[in-house]
Parts: sequence; C-alpha cells; structure tokens
Amino acid sequence: MGRFVVRRLVGMVLVLFAISVIVFLIFNVIPSSDPAQQMAGKEATPTLIASINEEWGFDDPLPQQYLTMMGKILSGDVISYEGRENVDERIVDGIPATFSLCIGAAVIWMFFGILFGYLSAVRAGGLLDRTLTIVAVAGISIPVFWLAAIFLNYLTYQLELFPSGGYVGLTEDPMQWASHLILPWVTLAIVYVGLYSRVLRSNMLDAMGEDYVRTARAKGLSERQVMTRHVLRNSLVPIITLFGLDFGALLGGAILVEAVFSLDGIGLYTYESLINFDLPPVMAVVLFGAFFVVLFNALVDIAYAYLDPRVKLGASAQ
Amino acid sequence: MSEALLSVDDLRVGFDTEGGRVQAVDGVSFELAPGEVLAIVGESGSGKSVTAQTIIGLTRSANASIEGSVQLAGNELIGAGEAELRQVRGERIAMVFQDPMTSFNPVYRVGDQLIEAIQAHRPHVSRSDARERAVELLGSVGLPDPEQRVDRYPHELSGGMRQRAMIAMALTLEPEVLIADEPTTALDVTIQAQILELLRQLNRERGLATILITHDFGVVAEMADRVLVMHEGRIVERGDLDDVFYATKDPYTRKLLGAVVRLDQAPPLRPGKTEGPLLEVTDLVKHFSVKRGLLFDREVDRVRAVDGVSFSVERGETLGLVGESGSGKSTLSRAVLQLLKPTSGSVRFDGREIAGLSRRQMRPLRPDMQMVFQDPYASLNPRKRIGQIVGEPLRVQNRASGAELRRQVKELLERVGLSSEHYDRYPHEFSGGQRQRVGIARALALRPKLIVADEPVSALDVSIRTQILTLLSDLQEEFGLTYVFVAHDIGVVRHVSDRIAVMHDGKIVELGPADQVCEQPADAYTKTLLAAVPVPDPRESRARRADFKA
Repeated sequence: MGRFVVRRLVGMVLVLFAISVIVFLIFNVIPSSDPAQQMAGKEATPTLIASINEEWGFDDPLPQQYLTMMGKILSGDVISYEGRENVDERIVDGIPATFSLCIGAAVIWMFFGILFGYLSAVRAGGLLDRTLTIVAVAGISIPVFWLAAIFLNYLTYQLELFPSGGYVGLTEDPMQWASHLILPWVTLAIVYVGLYSRVLRSNMLDAMGEDYVRTARAKGLSERQVMTRHVLRNSLVPIITLFGLDFGALLGGAILVEAVFSLDGIGLYTYESLINFDLPPVMAVVLFGAFFVVLFNALVDIAYAYLDPRVKLGASAQ
Repeated sequence: MSEALLSVDDLRVGFDTEGGRVQAVDGVSFELAPGEVLAIVGESGSGKSVTAQTIIGLTRSANASIEGSVQLAGNELIGAGEAELRQVRGERIAMVFQDPMTSFNPVYRVGDQLIEAIQAHRPHVSRSDARERAVELLGSVGLPDPEQRVDRYPHELSGGMRQRAMIAMALTLEPEVLIADEPTTALDVTIQAQILELLRQLNRERGLATILITHDFGVVAEMADRVLVMHEGRIVERGDLDDVFYATKDPYTRKLLGAVVRLDQAPPLRPGKTEGPLLEVTDLVKHFSVKRGLLFDREVDRVRAVDGVSFSVERGETLGLVGESGSGKSTLSRAVLQLLKPTSGSVRFDGREIAGLSRRQMRPLRPDMQMVFQDPYASLNPRKRIGQIVGEPLRVQNRASGAELRRQVKELLERVGLSSEHYDRYPHEFSGGQRQRVGIARALALRPKLIVADEPVSALDVSIRTQILTLLSDLQEEFGLTYVFVAHDIGVVRHVSDRIAVMHDGKIVELGPADQVCEQPADAYTKTLLAAVPVPDPRESRARRADFKA
C-alpha cells in the first residue's frame, strides 16, 4: 500500500507537469493569442504593447515564462489577463457550486443507473427491459444543451417550477440550494444513467452465465439472493471504475451544464476563460481538473483491490 | 434393487435454439439407492451434465422444455415450485462442479460461501455458529488448517484444496444425494486420486448416495457401483461396474472402452532412431523475477520455472514431456522454441545454437519448428476461414500465393483427414477434433522438422483422442517429423513417445525409454504420478486399492 501511494504520487506530479507544459505550449502557438495585444485593447499603440510585455514578462523566453506562471499558480498569486483577478481565489469560490452539482448528480445517476441496469438484466428480453433500453439510449443520445433548453423552457419559464439559474449556497438556504440544483442535477445525470445501466446490464448478463452463479443456485439460494449477492455484486466492479473516472473528470468543472444553468462554478469559469483566451485561469483549472482525474484513478485502483480480492495493488511480475 | 432414493423416469430435456430444437436428454430413466455410487459416463454433448442439472432444476429456463419425472423419496421435482426446489437444493441434493476455480465466487471468502449455504436453509443459525460449522466441515474433508483457510479467498487455495472446500460446501446440510459433475477433470492426476479417495470415504462413512458424472473410464472403474453410458441424450448401456467393462453389450460403449488409452498397455514397438540429434538442450534455465520496490523495481524473488534442464531429441523421435500443472513443462517448451527468452543455457537446433537469438534472427528458422496448441477453440481465429488459417504460415513466409497457395492448403486439409471443401468454412462450424486437425495442418504447412505439441489432445473426447494420436504418428512417418509431446496424462504420453521426460518443480526428475519409465520408474515422484493414474479396469483397480491398504 505504501509503495502504491508513493508511486501514484510521483506519477501524479509527472502527469500534472506534462499536462501543464502541453497547455502552456498550445496557448503560445495559437495565433491571435498574444496576451499583450489583448490587454492593450483595439486602439493599442506599439509603446503600450511593449510596456505590457515588459511588465508581464511576455518577452521572456518560454521556459522562463512557464516557470513564473507555475510558481504563481502554486503560490496562489496568479492574476488573470482578463479582469486581473486572482485565479486561485476564483477557483476556490467556484468549488461549492461545482461540487454540489457533481455530488448530487452522481448520487442520482448511480442510484438510477444501478436500478435500471439491474431490472433490465433480471428481466432481460421482457417488456421492462425493452422500455428501459429505449430510455437509456434516449438518455445517452440527447445532447445536454438541448435537454437543458427544454427543461428551462417548460419547467422554468412556462410552469415556473424552478428558478432560472444561478447558485445559492447550501449554508445560506438549503431549500433554495436544492431547487436551484434540481434541473442541473437531472440534466447532468441523465447521460450517465443511460450509460451505466447499459454497462451494468451487459455485465450482469455475462455474470449470469458464470459457474459460481450455478453453484449459488445449487446451494438453494433464492433467485433474489443469487441476483444481488452474486450477479450484481460481481458486476459492480467495472461500474466503480467508470464512476471514478467520470466523477473525477466532472469535479474539474461540468462546463456545459454550468454554462447553460449559469451555475457559478469552475466549469463556468473555465468556459469564460477559454472564450477570452485567458491563459492563467485555463492553466489553473486544467491542473485542478487533472488533479482530480489522477486522484480518482488512484482511488479506483484502491477500490478495485477491495472489491476484487484477486487484484493486488502495485503487484508486478515479469 | 433396494428402495430407490431418487428415481428418474423417462426424462426429456430439449432446448429451443436458433437452429431449432436440441434434444439434449431423450428418455433417460434410472434409480439411485441410498449409499450407492452411480456413474454416468459419456462424451461431450452426450447429455450427462444436463441430466444431472435437471434433477435439481438448474436447467429451467424460458427456452427449455422438460418432461418426465424425477422423484426424490416419492416427491416429484419436475414441475415443483421454485420454493420447494430450493428446499431440495443443497439441503437434500447437493452438487459439486468440475472447476472449483470458477465454481466459487472469487470475491467472497471460502468460509463466507459455506456460511451462505448454511444460512440459506437455516436462517436462524447465527453467523458464528455457521462459521464454526464451516471450519469443522473444511477439516472433515481433509483441508489442512481449516481455522485459517476458512478466511481465505478461493484464489488463495490450490486446486485440490478448492475442490475439497467445494465438497465441504456440498456437505454443509448433510444431503442425502451428492451429484459430482466431473469433479476431478480440472485437477492434476495426483490430486485427482486424493479427491476420489475423499468421495469414496464420504460414500462409505456417511452412506451418501452419489451420482458421478465423468468422461473418464479410469475414474469410473475406481469409484462406481453401477454405470450408465450416455450417447446423444440416451442411455445406451447400463449395468453393474464389472458387466459394463467385461460383458459390454452396446457397440458404442465397446468403441469408447476400446478408445481409452491405457497406461498399463505397451504401445506398438517403434523402430529405433539413429540419425543424430535434431534438438539438444543443455542446462536450460528460465526464471521469472518477482519485482518490488518503492519507486523502482528490484528483484526480490524469482520463480524457477525451468531450473537447469538438459535433454536431446533424435531426428524422427518423439520425446514425451510429462508433468503436472506448475511443473514447468509449458515454460520449457516455449523456452526451447525461443518464444520465451531463456535465462541461461544452450539450445542447439539442427546443429545451430539458437538460445538468445533475436526475433529477427529466429525468423528464418521458424518454419522448421512449429507448435500445436491445447485448445482448438481458442487457438483458431474465429473470424478467419479455415483456408486462411492454414495458409497463413505459407503466406507470411512467402512460400506460396494465389492459386498455388490454395492448392497446397487443400492438399494439407486432405492430408489431415479434412476435405478440401472445408477451405471456406469458419472454425465454429467444426467439432473439437476437426479443429485440432486444422491446427495440425497449420503446423505442417511449412514442412517443419520439429513439432512441439502442447497438450494436443487433452481438450478432446476419448474417441477423438485416439484418432488425433494416430494422425500425428502417421504424419511423423510420412514427413519424418520430430515431436516434443507435452502432456499431463502419462498414459497418452506413453502411447506416442519413444522416450519420456518427467518434469517436477522445474527439473527433469527422470528421463528414459517410455516403457522403462512407465514400468520401472526410478524416481519417487514418477512412482507417485504413475500410482495416481486411474486404471480403466475395475478388477485391476480393486487389486491396487487392496495393495495400497496392505
């Protein structure tokens, strides 16, 4: 375990380093991304641009610029080009909204994903299975922005059941918090419900043919015990993997959903920064998101070893 | 016959498939008395497993039609409700399956799976009492350290221990009938002998009525009181053990018995080989490192899979390589062919040192050495046509193309007993034996000097086995082939080999002429191995057991 953690930490640093270098380089080769030009505005004089370049260090060699920026990001001093605000503070401010959105959606999609997948598998070929299959495929295929638009149009503007967007802190007013988040939760969860129920269904159908399921029946277990203790239990392992990866990726900001519902989270901030070609916040949110992806990858591996005792953490043989 | 405990009457089981109705069991009737061991023998597809599983309703499904009657002490089980059947399963009729690795759920501890069986029928029994009972049962089937092993996961036990635990699980509720479906087929022969002894003991001490499903007449001779022989869903022969063996009535049974390769019968004499060695292996070592380290791996242990092995194979000779699982025989054969890089040692092939050659250096030599694999299902690409599979070696080595390639492949197919019309078919259209012929044709395509056959017949039915062995020996004569024949079944190895090498723990413990190794073994392990092979002859088997006791 200790060995596993050490290796993963080293791996995490390497991955974050590689990602930051790539993002940095991409921004420096994109045409029209000259930050000094951007800051100087449309009526920029060469002297103004030169002085901005001087002040912000845009004339320094690239490695130097990279190191300066990384140092500032890590120490919390980095300032965005657009708006000149502290990037790290903006990210921290966005965490409650993004995490509320992701955790709530994850609870919904895991619950319904597993429920639908289980019912589909147990009633494979039947009417319920077919209905759930249609629901799942629809969920996977419907674009988030379209679904969000439909929800907003009917449920918010016409029926006025939900507020039209924005975020209210959980500690300020829990009821308002929930009512602001219900539509984003459902919108975000629907794709995953479809995906997870399909994956679970096929895993369970595979597991039903396993010898140990026959053994469980031969022992005299009831059909429900066979299904939950043996078929479902063993089929959940790949679901946990999927969940770890998806959830980790979302914590870095659910860009589309946050943008559509104007949830003031990290995703919305990312979206705005990308539109403005604003390198410092983009670097910071990418690293922030990558951190969670790598972290959850490691957590998935640990969970795997608990769920499947045959898996040994960090074992290698040649 | 005494009062029947279980009686099966005119049982018919059919499955509706895309290709129409498959009648897996077609009018099977038999009775089982308390304390009796009834063997049901048959090849794959004979319906023996379906019969056994139907008894406790495991074959029930939407596409199955089940008719006839199965009565347990007068209670009808066919048509019984699920709840009623659940009372029977595990409680009155318990089952042991073929592969204890896949038959245990890998994610639960062995003890928990026993506890689950107990609590399924006795919900009021506390977990700690059930655990105590599990420990006691594991001990009673001869599992060493049951207190410790009860908390192990299935993969942490050896194959033999797993099967003991599986038997313990079957015994948890003291059933009246035990159905053992190929209980030793997945086990090594020395372990098989132990498990059979355990089953015999349970039958003797507990009066446990046992149905033993098997394809192996050796196991039948060791175990059964009565025998049913099944073929295509019907019982073709039934009777007491000795009658079935010595007064066989049915021609199919006679054919099956005749096809059994017997260890105690010397194969026909083979001419001596004197053309000098084709393959010389000296001090061959293959170690696998076990690596660990905080950040960088370093070797902490090594598995000595092949540990200093020397032998040579004469041109035109067959060397049998026998060993149980884990003995290193497969690693050895791959290291000889340079499919695995040997750790050290020398391999001379046709006078040339090949140990340590790179892949590219080996490429021109590859046509001279080919391999035939164990599983004819897994070793043929299911998406390629037979013609493409057999022709591929010729194509990649640029030996032939176009019409010439087609002609050569068709000739090969005919040579191995298939037809040239099979050229455009896919592997799934063939039986196991036919597929193994395809594998052999592929190995032959480049006219190799050496063929390494790794368990080429162990996945095949008995009657097919002999055909493939005969084909291999005909081809050897015709093409002057040299074989290294790797197998766990010393009976089969003796049948085809001039000399036999016995492997154990990565070393060759005995090497000599086949007859000598089988009849006057010098090494203690060879003796154990030979003694464990069940003899398909009830009288002999009884004599051996009497000897053993004395």
